[in-house]
Amino acid sequence: MADANLLVDDLFRREAGRISAWLARLLGPGRLALIEDAVQDAFGAALARWPIDGIPGRPAAWLAVAARNKALDGLRREVKLDQFDESAAWRLGFSNPEETGGLDDTLALMFVACHPALERDEQTMLTLQTVCGFSVREIARAYLSTPEAVTQRLVRAKRKIRELGLAFEIPGASQMEARLPALIEAVYLLFNGGYTSGAGADLIACELCAEALRLATLLTAHPATATGECHALAALVCFHHARAGARTGDTGALILLERQDRAMWDHNLIRRGCEHLRDAMTSRELTAIHLEAAIASVHAAAQSFEETDWAMLSRHYSMLEELKPTPVVRLNAAIALAHADSPAAGLARLDALDGARKLANYALYHSARGDLLLKLGRAHDAAAAFSRALGCELNDAERTHLEGRLQSCVMPLS
Amino acid sequence: MPNYMLFLHQDLERPRPAAPDDFMPMIKEYAEWADKMRSAGHMKGGEKLADDAGRVIRHKGGRITVTDGPYAESKELVGGYFVLSAKDYDEVCQLAESCPHLKFGGRIEIRQIEGMANG
Repeated sequence: MADANLLVDDLFRREAGRISAWLARLLGPGRLALIEDAVQDAFGAALARWPIDGIPGRPAAWLAVAARNKALDGLRREVKLDQFDESAAWRLGFSNPEETGGLDDTLALMFVACHPALERDEQTMLTLQTVCGFSVREIARAYLSTPEAVTQRLVRAKRKIRELGLAFEIPGASQMEARLPALIEAVYLLFNGGYTSGAGADLIACELCAEALRLATLLTAHPATATGECHALAALVCFHHARAGARTGDTGALILLERQDRAMWDHNLIRRGCEHLRDAMTSRELTAIHLEAAIASVHAAAQSFEETDWAMLSRHYSMLEELKPTPVVRLNAAIALAHADSPAAGLARLDALDGARKLANYALYHSARGDLLLKLGRAHDAAAAFSRALGCELNDAERTHLEGRLQSCVMPLS
Repeated sequence: MPNYMLFLHQDLERPRPAAPDDFMPMIKEYAEWADKMRSAGHMKGGEKLADDAGRVIRHKGGRITVTDGPYAESKELVGGYFVLSAKDYDEVCQLAESCPHLKFGGRIEIRQIEGMANG
C-alpha cells in the first residue's frame, strides 16, 4: 500500500519535530536520545501497521500516542540502569497527545539544540534532527558527511546536554541577547546550506531552505524572539526562497538571476519578505543580516534584471563589506559595482581581491571575472577564467552553466 | 454539558507495585483510559499531583500561617485529577467506572464544576 508509505514520509517531516518538542517538555532535554528513538519507533510502527489496519482517522494523534507509549517503554528500560524516574513516567501517563506542536515547546527545543555549550555544527545538526525531523542519512547528505560521522556528533551533543542538565525553557529577557544569536546563526546556516548546496542533492537543498523559512518565521511569531534581526532573517529567507522555483530549469540546469523568469517567482513570499523587512527596521542596530535582506529585496523588487537598482545594491554592499568583510561579500560588492559603475571598475575591484586565498577555489569568483572580461571583449582571458572556475567544486547545474559560458568565449555570440 | 472533577484518592497503606517494571503497565493503563475519554470527547484535562503532603495556608489570629497539608498524617491523599464533561452524574459515574484507578485500589470522588447552566 504505497499510500501509507507516502503518508508516513510526509507526516514524519511535519510531525516528528512537533512530537519531539512535546516529549522533551515532559521528559526533559536530557532524554533527547530516548525521545528520538521513541519517535522513530512510532513511525516504524505506523509503517508496519497502517498498510494492514488502514490509516487511522487522525494519523498525527495516533503517532503522538504511539511515540508516548514507546517513550514509556524507554523509561522502563532506564530501570535497568537504576535511574527510574517515577514523576517523568506519570507526566507521560497524564499527558495530552493532542498538545504537540506548541510554539513554546518548539522554541525551547531550539534553544536546547543551539545551546552555547555545543559546537556550531552540533547545533545545526541537532536542530535538523530534533526540530526538523531530518534523518541521519539526510543530514549527512546535506553536510557532505557520512551517516556514521553525523551519528557520532549527535550522540556527543546529546550527552553534553544530559551532563549539563540543561533546562527546557525559553531564556528570560536578561539572557535572550546572549542566547538568540546562536539560533539565528543555525537558521542562517540551514538556509545557506540549502541555497548553495555543495554537490548535487537538490531535493535536500530545497528542504533545507523550506525548514529555514519555517524556523525563521517561527522566531518572528513569538514575542520573546521577534527581534528586528529575526525579522531580517525571515525577510532574507523569504526573498531567496521565492526564487527557488525559477533557479533551476527543467533539466536541473542552474538559471542565473539574469535569466530567471521573474513571473515564476513566488510573489506571495516576496510580499511576506517585505513585511518582515519593514518589521526588521524596528531594530536598534543594523546587522549584516539586515543588509543581506535589503540586498535581496532590491533584486526581488526589480521587474527585470536590467531594471535592477544597481546603485542602491552597490551602496548596500559597501555597508555590508564594512560589517562582514568576507571574501564572498567583497566579491559580490565588486559585481554590484561592475553593474552600477562599469565592467572595468568591477574587474579592477575583482583583480584587487585576487590575493584572497579563499577565492582561488571559489567558482563564482572566476566566473564573475570571466563575465566581465567577456563584456570587455577579452575573450581569451575570459576563457581562461571560466576554465579555472570549472576546476573548482561545483554542483551539476553550475558545471553545465559554466561549460556553456566557456563555449561562448570560443564562439562569441552575436 | 457540565464538567466534572474526578479526584483520584489513593490509599497510602496499600502497597504499591514495588518494581518499576510493574509500575509502567499501570501508568500505561491510565494513559490509555485518558486517550479513550479524549477520543470520545469527554476528557477536558487532568494531571498527576506530586506525592507529598502539600501545604495549607490560612488566616489565623490576624496573620497568615502555613502548615503541612492534611496528607502529612493521613492514610490517603489525592494523587491526581481528571476533568470530564458528561450529561449528568449518571453518565460521569458510568465513564469513571472504567478508570483504572479503581482497579488499582483507589477511590474516585466526583464533583460537578459550577459553570453556565446551559454550557
